Order: sequence, then structure tokens, then C-alpha cells
Amino acid sequence: MGGAAVTLLIQQVVLGLMLGGVYVAVAIGFSLVWGILNIVNLAHGALVVVGMYTTWYLFSHFGLDPFLTLPIAALALFVIGYILQRGVINRVIRAPLFFTLLLTFGINLVLINLFLVWFKADFRSVTTSYSGTGLVVAGVTVPYVRLAALVIALLLAGAVGLFLNRTRTGFAIQAVGADKDAAQLVGIDLRHVYALTFAVGAACAGVAGGLLSTIQAISPTAGEPYTLQAFVVVILGGLGRVSATVVGGLLFGLIEVLAQSQVPGLGAGWSNAIAFAILVLVLVLRPQGLLGRLA
Amino acid sequence: MSDPEAPPAAFSTQPSRAGRRLRRVILVAFLVAAVIVAVLPLTLTEQAADANLDPATLGIDFAINKSIVRAETTIAMFIALAAAWNLIGGLTGYAAFGNVAFFGLGAYTVGFLTDKQHLSFALALPLAPLVAAVFAALIGIPLLRLRGHYFAIATLGTGVAVGEVIKNIDAFGGGTGLFPPILRHADALFFYLMAATAALAVAATWLVLRSRFGYGLIAIRENEEAASVLGVNTVAYKVAAFTLAAALTGLAGGVFAQWTSFIDQESVFPIQYNVQMILMAIIGGAGTLFGPVAGAIVLEWLILTLAGGGTNAVYAQIGLGVLLAVTVIFVPRGVVDFFGGSSKLSLAYLRRSLRETSV
Repeated sequence: MGGAAVTLLIQQVVLGLMLGGVYVAVAIGFSLVWGILNIVNLAHGALVVVGMYTTWYLFSHFGLDPFLTLPIAALALFVIGYILQRGVINRVIRAPLFFTLLLTFGINLVLINLFLVWFKADFRSVTTSYSGTGLVVAGVTVPYVRLAALVIALLLAGAVGLFLNRTRTGFAIQAVGADKDAAQLVGIDLRHVYALTFAVGAACAGVAGGLLSTIQAISPTAGEPYTLQAFVVVILGGLGRVSATVVGGLLFGLIEVLAQSQVPGLGAGWSNAIAFAILVLVLVLRPQGLLGRLA
Repeated sequence: MSDPEAPPAAFSTQPSRAGRRLRRVILVAFLVAAVIVAVLPLTLTEQAADANLDPATLGIDFAINKSIVRAETTIAMFIALAAAWNLIGGLTGYAAFGNVAFFGLGAYTVGFLTDKQHLSFALALPLAPLVAAVFAALIGIPLLRLRGHYFAIATLGTGVAVGEVIKNIDAFGGGTGLFPPILRHADALFFYLMAATAALAVAATWLVLRSRFGYGLIAIRENEEAASVLGVNTVAYKVAAFTLAAALTGLAGGVFAQWTSFIDQESVFPIQYNVQMILMAIIGGAGTLFGPVAGAIVLEWLILTLAGGGTNAVYAQIGLGVLLAVTVIFVPRGVVDFFGGSSKLSLAYLRRSLRETSV
């Protein structure tokens, strides 16, 4: 009895960490854009869906393995993100934050309805030969696609961290985040760096979407919950560091799975409510996040 | 501008003579339109009462009038929502993104009391704003300590979470929803109720704008620390504004529930309502008395005209998104700013708005 309960608990912890991997992937781009541009991108979920459809399209029309489509999804989103920021969002970047919220919501609305026009409201899925199979270690099942998603999410976080801390462009992005006027004084082209930052954030959303397409059904509104969840991850971990996003994402995944399985009365329908409860608790008790610096 | 006595437009806060004349014309046109709008539903009930017939046999005029009254009721509802949002978002400057929570709570209060508790609509309706207000006061105390993005997303989360929690509780109809008993031939009644709610919201704004309370809210919007130093009890003021907005929104929700006689999570917690009410207030002019009214009329009329349902609805949503972007980029101060007379709609105006906020 005791052994079975322990195995079940370990199973839930494993599933929680893997769900956390998904949250890490989704939140990295969101966190970057928020931290550097001070934009809470309400269209982030829709960008994730662009990634999902990219992977689905390449998988179903060209038979490409979903994990091989990730660089293509990233590239496509990079271009879309650069154009969006350079052409549209840069226009309101100095306005009160409220306007950037409205603008990104507008972009979200347009994207979702374009998906509806092009792909209809149908649910689509990417099912490979290895979908639904997994590694079994001592009675604990580890689904392959989710394990791969976790590993790729961590690699993505590492890559973004290296990019920000080891390259000239990364330094420029950080400089703009720290003080945009000083950055401009030393010759950094703000318009380009803003667009580049948003493009990198969008590319991360594309990778997240590609990963998610192997895990869940794809529909025009499939990305909606992820905007709120990315926000919760950033709040939980703290703004301004990639490592904080990783901790926040994994922790959020764990809390969600454990709350749904261990607390009586809570089920799968409660994920937004749980996210919101965490959000309010953290904001009220520790507004800078678990690992964050005070703004 | 051609008037030599008028001060240069750029330095004047008072509208020019031409501006005043334009305003008078708009006001008269508005009053005439308001009278027509207000009387139309009466023809509907008279006709129905005289003929004592089923609407189906009353013919095409009746059907058209009925759909117009329906549209008027919807517009009145959005006037109420936008004006209520204006109290917290426009006057106080707190980017509330989740007012739909109060709408849904008001709707579910009426739905639950009439469907499950068999209370009459007249008794249930007053409780709708009460429930929404109590909830807003409770949640406002922690949430209004947050600023900027944090407040915006926390309220957005409230809207989503409240809907989800209610859907998960079987006593409130669960996934099936609630069915308030249908009131027949009551289209006129619902129009007047909704119009009264809208009028109440505008009247409340008028009173607030003229009161010490209103000046306190504007002070908070302009500089919260300074307001606090000057002796404004910022916490109490913010929570009061939030609660007032919630009560008005909840009242509209309560009327809506009985009007549609079916509610579920999707129909009374739609996330796009959050943004529609904000967009209406901003397009009209946030923080002004009639801005949200003008915005609600124009935008909801556009939405109702464009979205015939079916595939058109998708394109209407795309249009809404584009309109949102254009408004935010080019006319962030709303149309009341230039129809009010203090500035003119011109290419220079659009270029200035663009330059002020872009990099």
C-alpha cells in the first residue's frame, strides 16, 4: 500500500516537472519581452499557436518529424516577431503600458481570427509513431514526447541565457533593458534592438508551440491559457533572469499537478483557478517573485 | 481659426466658437436620436398588446422593430459597461482587465436566484450589484495594491478564474448553465432596464467628476504618491471606485441574465467583453463623461452591423483588432479630444500622436 502510494506520488512529481517544462518553454519568450521591453505581450499565446500550426503543417504535408520542425517554427516566428515589433508595437512603446496591453490584445484577436479563417475551428493533432509511448522505470511512466519537451525547454533556456550573457547583441539587449536612454547614447539602435528582442521572444514561442503540438490538440484558441500561465510563471520565479523563469515554470507545473491530484474536489477543470490563486498569493506575499530582484 | 477674437487653438483649453457650435449641433442631434430610441420600444409593446397576438403573426415591421430594440438594448448594456469601466480605468487610471467577472457574477446571481431558488426577477435583480460589489471590495483590497501590468493581469486572471470556479460548482448549473424563467413580450422592459442601468452609470460618473471623491481619483491617476501625501486616502478611494464600477457592471449582468434567459460560463464571462468595454471608453475618450457613451454607441453599432453571425463574425473580430491597434497608435486620447474642441482631427494631429509614443 505504502509503496504504491509513493510510486503514485513520484509519478505525479515526474508529470508535474514535465508539465513545468512546457511552461518554461512558453514563458521564456514572454519573460524576455516583458523584462526588456516592459511589454506584457497578450498575443504571446497566439504566437505559440503559430508555432503549433507550423509544426502541424510540416508534419502533415511533408512528413517531417515534429522535433525537426522546431528550427523552422523558430525562424518563422522570428521573422513575424521582428515585423510586428518594428512595424506596429514600436509605435506605442513610449505610451502608458495600458496601450501596449490593448495593442497586443488587438494583435491577439486578429491572429486568432485569421487562424479561424485559414484552419477553421477544427482540432488537429500531430501523432507520431512514438506518441503515447514512454519509458517505464520502477513503475513510473515517463512519456517520451513530454521528456523531450522538458529537455528541449531546458536547452532553449540555456541558449537564451548564453545569447544574452555571451554575445554582443545579447549585451545590447540587456543594456536597453537596463536603461534605454543610456543605451541610445552609446550608439545602440533602439528600434532594431526592440524588434530583435521581440523576435527572439517570438522564436521561443514558436519552439514552445512546436513542442506543444506533440502533446495537445491544436486549435485557434489553444494558446489562450498560456498567456496567463506564462505570466504566473514569471511572477512566481521573478522577472529579469532566465534561471528564475526555469524555476518558476518547473515549480508551477509541480504545484498544478499536485494540487489537482492531491487536493480533493480539484480536478482538471481548475487549472486557471489554480494559476490565478498562485498569482494573487505571490503578488501579495512576495511581489518580486521567489528569485527576483526588486524592480 | 478664422475668428480673430479666438485665442490660438494650441493655447486654448476652451473650445473655439466653431467648436461650440459643432458641439451644440451634436448635442441636439444626440437628443433627437435619444428620444426616437427611447420611444421605439413603446410601439412594440402597444402593437403586441393591441393585437394580443404572437410576434410571429405580427408581420415584418414588428420583427424589424424587435431586432432594432434588441440592438438598442445591447448598445445600452455596453454604455453601462464602458461607463462603469471608466470609473476605475479612465478616472483612477487602473488598467482593470477583468470587469467581466462582475458582469458574470451579477448574471449568475440573478440566474441562480430565479432558476434554482425560484425568486422573482424583481427581488433577485437588486442582489446582483450587491454580490458584485462585495466581491470587488474583497478582491480589490489586495489587488489594488498592485500597479501597472501586475494589476492588469491580476484582474484579467480574476475574470477567467471566477468563471471557471462557477462552472465547476454544480449548484450553479455546472457546465449546463442556468435558465431564468422566460418573461414573454418583455423586450421593451429589458430595453428600459438596460437604458436605466446605462443612465445610472453615466449619472454616477457625472456625480463623481464633480465631487471631492472624483478629484481624489484623478489625483491618484496623475500621481499616486503625491495624492497620498496631500491626504487622499488612496486605498479607500481606489477600492470605492472599483466597487462602484463592479456594482454597475453587476447590475448590467443581472439584467442580461433575465433578458437572454440562459446563461453559462461562456455567455457571461467572455474575455472579449473586457476589451470591448475598454476600447469603447478609449475610443470615446477615457476619463471623460460622454466618451464611453459615444464609444459604446459607435463601436457596438459597428459590431452589430458587421457581424451578421457566421463567417462575418470572424471578420468583424479581425476588424475590431485592427481598429484597436489603429486607435491605440493614432488617437490614444479618444475622439472626444478633438470633437470636444481642444484639438482638431488632422494629419498633423495623427502624426503628433504617433511621434509622442514611438521610438
